[in-house]
Amino acid sequence: MSIWNYVVTAHKPTNVTHSCVGNFTSPQDLNLIIAKCTRVEIHLLTPQGLQPMLDVPIYGRIATLELFRSHGEAQDFLFIATERYKFCVLQWDSETSELVTRAMGDVSDRIGRATDNGQIGIIDPDCRLIGLHLYDGLFKVIPFDNRGQLKEAFNIRLEELQVLDIKFLYGCSKPTIVVLYQDNKDARHAKTYEVSLKDKDFVEGPWSQNNLDNGADLLIPVPPPLCGVLIIGEETIVYCSANAFKAIPIRPSITKAYGRVDPDGSRYLLGDHTGLLSLLVITHEKEKVTGLKIEPLGETSIASTISYLDNAFVYIGSSYGDSQLIKLNQQPDAKGSYVEVLERYVNLGPIVDFCVVDLERQGQGQVVTCSGAYKDGSLRVVRNGIGINEQASVELQGIKGMWSLRSSTDDLFDTFLVVSFISETRILAMNLEDELEETEIEGFCSQVQSLSCHDAVHNQLVQVTSSSVRLVSSTTRELRNEWHAPSGYSINVATANATQVLLATGGGHLVYLEIGDGILQEIKHAQLEYEISCLDINPIGENPNHSNLAAVGMWTDISVRIFSLPDLNLITKEPLGGEIIPRSVLLCAFEGISYLLCALGDGHLLNFLLNTSTGELTDRKKVSLGTQPITLRTFSSKNTTHVFAASDRPTVIYSSNKKLLYSNVNLKEVSHMCPFNSAAFPDSLAIAKEGELTIGTIDDIQKLHIRSIPLGEHARRICHQEQSRTFAICSLKYNPSAEEPETHFVRLLDDQTFEFISTYPLDTYEYGCFIISCSFSDDSNVYYCVGTAYVLPEENEPSKGRILVFAVEDGKLQLIAEKETKGAVYCLNAFNGKLLAAINQKIQLYKWVLRDDGTHELQSECGHHGHILALYVQTRGDFIVVGDLMKSISLLIYKHEEGAIEERARDYNANWMSAVEILDDDIYLGAENSFNLFTVRKNSEGATDEERGRLEVVGEYHLGEFINRFRHGSLVMRLPDSEVGQIPTVIFGTINGVIGVIASLPHDQYVFLEKLQSSLRKVIKGVGGLSHEQWRSFSNDKKTVEARNFLDGDLIESFLDLNRNKMDEVSQAVGVSVEELCKRVEELTRLH
Amino acid sequence: MDSVLGNWPSYDPHNFSQLRTSDPSRSSKMAPATYHSIHNRDVPPADQVINTEHKNILLREIYRRAEEKLTPKRAASDNLIPEHGSKQPRVST
Repeated sequence: MSIWNYVVTAHKPTNVTHSCVGNFTSPQDLNLIIAKCTRVEIHLLTPQGLQPMLDVPIYGRIATLELFRSHGEAQDFLFIATERYKFCVLQWDSETSELVTRAMGDVSDRIGRATDNGQIGIIDPDCRLIGLHLYDGLFKVIPFDNRGQLKEAFNIRLEELQVLDIKFLYGCSKPTIVVLYQDNKDARHAKTYEVSLKDKDFVEGPWSQNNLDNGADLLIPVPPPLCGVLIIGEETIVYCSANAFKAIPIRPSITKAYGRVDPDGSRYLLGDHTGLLSLLVITHEKEKVTGLKIEPLGETSIASTISYLDNAFVYIGSSYGDSQLIKLNQQPDAKGSYVEVLERYVNLGPIVDFCVVDLERQGQGQVVTCSGAYKDGSLRVVRNGIGINEQASVELQGIKGMWSLRSSTDDLFDTFLVVSFISETRILAMNLEDELEETEIEGFCSQVQSLSCHDAVHNQLVQVTSSSVRLVSSTTRELRNEWHAPSGYSINVATANATQVLLATGGGHLVYLEIGDGILQEIKHAQLEYEISCLDINPIGENPNHSNLAAVGMWTDISVRIFSLPDLNLITKEPLGGEIIPRSVLLCAFEGISYLLCALGDGHLLNFLLNTSTGELTDRKKVSLGTQPITLRTFSSKNTTHVFAASDRPTVIYSSNKKLLYSNVNLKEVSHMCPFNSAAFPDSLAIAKEGELTIGTIDDIQKLHIRSIPLGEHARRICHQEQSRTFAICSLKYNPSAEEPETHFVRLLDDQTFEFISTYPLDTYEYGCFIISCSFSDDSNVYYCVGTAYVLPEENEPSKGRILVFAVEDGKLQLIAEKETKGAVYCLNAFNGKLLAAINQKIQLYKWVLRDDGTHELQSECGHHGHILALYVQTRGDFIVVGDLMKSISLLIYKHEEGAIEERARDYNANWMSAVEILDDDIYLGAENSFNLFTVRKNSEGATDEERGRLEVVGEYHLGEFINRFRHGSLVMRLPDSEVGQIPTVIFGTINGVIGVIASLPHDQYVFLEKLQSSLRKVIKGVGGLSHEQWRSFSNDKKTVEARNFLDGDLIESFLDLNRNKMDEVSQAVGVSVEELCKRVEELTRLH
Repeated sequence: MDSVLGNWPSYDPHNFSQLRTSDPSRSSKMAPATYHSIHNRDVPPADQVINTEHKNILLREIYRRAEEKLTPKRAASDNLIPEHGSKQPRVST
């Protein structure tokens, strides 16, 4: 790999951190707005449910998301504050469908200690000011003037240093906050302050309440007429106001989220750490609070945010499981639950660990993640591309074409599958046993190759061969009419629809026929100057049986032409450029937009927008799909039309949000495809590949496919063992009511069914920390090695752990050896036929020794001290790369002769690491806990020991995501002869559920893309005025420096979303044609 | 239970009325379009680019107190304030 890296998101964040409901997109629209860390999603409430409108990338990690209504406004504005101290106020302009920045700013202070409990951002209910608590001891105020404009911000000293929550109170003549805080004796209190905007200071508020629940953590302000605040503790809930105090005990629980139900604030939904949803009711009489009541409703995902939507529907946003749309029923179901889950929204977060495997052995990586936490823990199998689920297959060599035909025009299903070979045509049909068997259509000529077949009107079928066009009755199967090619001419290419046939003979003759009831009539003939290579008359107009346009691909001048039908007048001629002839053309329409697709002999595909009334071709784009000629065919799946491009790299072309997308099909090589929708195999495709005819159904048409395997417990480590075809995980199960609330396991799973097939329970207090599959020198067996730690409540750092060596025997985990360690085994690596362990501050090497009794044991060989905590270790040859808790990356070397491990070099920065990976011999990749990525390089050529002992930082980048794991591998099938196939990649998984790809580029490509990125920065602005350059700058407590040697693939690939004008603008700035830019960027999208 | 579990707020009775309850074990897959800010309204009016006042809280407090003390005297000796109010660089001779 290299130091020039391209970082791109394969799976966007799905961890829902914030949500709110309001009238954002218009005064009449009710919107649900969701924050997924670095993205905001805007949904519209409709009779059909939640309709997603927009996904808005934000150049920052969202710390606060609030809707508010300024004085005199008819719709809400959106306030967003980011963790790096930027904020913006956004307004939706429904006329232009644009997000307009009303205000923005920087709220950082030069001096200040960032709050431990996260940032707090709140807006006064009467819209007099925005309050921010970003640094200990300071409360920042951004005042509004009476026109709703923001004014210069100022700080107020806040005496309370350990703040747990701050909210504005409703119904106060002066803006008033209530502060929930902990004192230096760990007691918790609530206090109110009025904010005096004139004096820029606090004035003692109307009330305070001391000695609250020790677990009090959340404030809920109550709107008028009741006003006051609810203080949610772990054992009590308290209502407080200037003149009332009510408290109720609750079942011990930690409330993670709340959502107000009634505008008057009399009911609230509370979600706790176990996923229990409860309803908190404030009972009141004559606007006086008389008491509190709490009712459990049922179970949801563990909520991080709750938004009441409308008509008893509620959105549950989750960080630990899938987010949900639920309905609150008035009557309980059989299990006594009032909650009905209606929709689930996939969340991969937090991805704690993952592995890359090729389960189907097709050369394509799949990612299996440890996702979710607590009861919502799961494994997720993430796969790129579209799968074909094989239903049947037969060996058939030399297929030259395939078409499906119906036995009558009104039939819903296809009956016949016509398969054409070089010197014959065979017909397959479904028999009564739903088996495919060979049959005959008497009227068809079976001794020659078919060029085209089609269903025709009036219960007829059409067959085109090199000498004639045959019209056959689909009921009697007899020939009804035949059109013969003029003598001396043979038909080279042909195409047909239900009423028309277009064919070309040698010498550039184009002939147009129309189909009647038993009649084939030659309507028009045209002589073109060159030979014709391909044709299409797929109807895309209003009449599904008839086309007004014909597309024709030409030899010699390498052009594609549009003719009008029936008169065969040339209306457009588009030279394709280059020397590669078009091999397949297709007229098609997606989402109401008409296109002409044109596939070339070298695996490139051109697409044009087609004006169906003028025949004009515009917006030419080129992509590379493979290296072999492509055949294009349409097919339908779930009532939507897509295009299948058969080639050495089969691809489905589809449209989403009016943009053409290309998704790999997970098959190696496909020569022909035709839809085959039979009663036995509905919605299927017939696929000719590598001497085989396969009938299969197709996956949903989308890029990434995710399969969930709920575990009901939290998987923390995963690894795959090819030999035993199993996965092993370290997991823990929470059982809050038991004496030991956590139990840890090593579990074995079948890699096809994902069922638990064996379990090894760990000791009390023993955590599974790491798992690998490995083998040792002089032993042919493969083992699972597990590193553990005894986490005792009285110890700061574990002082004891174990290494357990398991074999899989008869599908069971058999403990073969165990070794006690003096600390937590954070990491294990197979290393030179031995086992390398990271144990607290030490790196320790164990050899696998055969004892006299024939059993094996792990024996310590050598070690290396000098880390704070060696958490992440990767090895390559004799080199060991260590990611330390707080001392960045160091490089060690194992010296065989001396049997010793020595330090070779280190990075002297104080990075708190979260993952490391070795990119190549000299370059190492690290992720640290301020959400940055960096690369360091070994300096072997340094003049002095000091220079050689220093790892040079060569790349820095702010990802904005917390990476838990890197793994070499690829999500897409790597074809050695494709350009993209040469680019090495590393996959990463993050807490927000992002799966990303880091690709190492050749230098020239990096330079080119860097130029493209800087041009794109000028065209695609940051939402809310946030700067892309600042967002991607490497930033932690110690320093902030510009990003270098990393490119933002998400920004670069959004080039493809631009309209033509903007593309032109970028193209001019970069000095490269739009077509070339599209092609190069499209290729990059195929990395993930 | 019934008494608190009914009468859910309704802003538009049509919302969710035609929701087709798909199998909840299958996940919802609708993906919204990605928004790109390609207009010139990403920058707010100049007066709406907000920063924090530079004056330190302590100085602000001192000035405020000083102002409070000086206010009653202001009528008598307006022109004296600069001389006594703050330090000024001495012109070296």
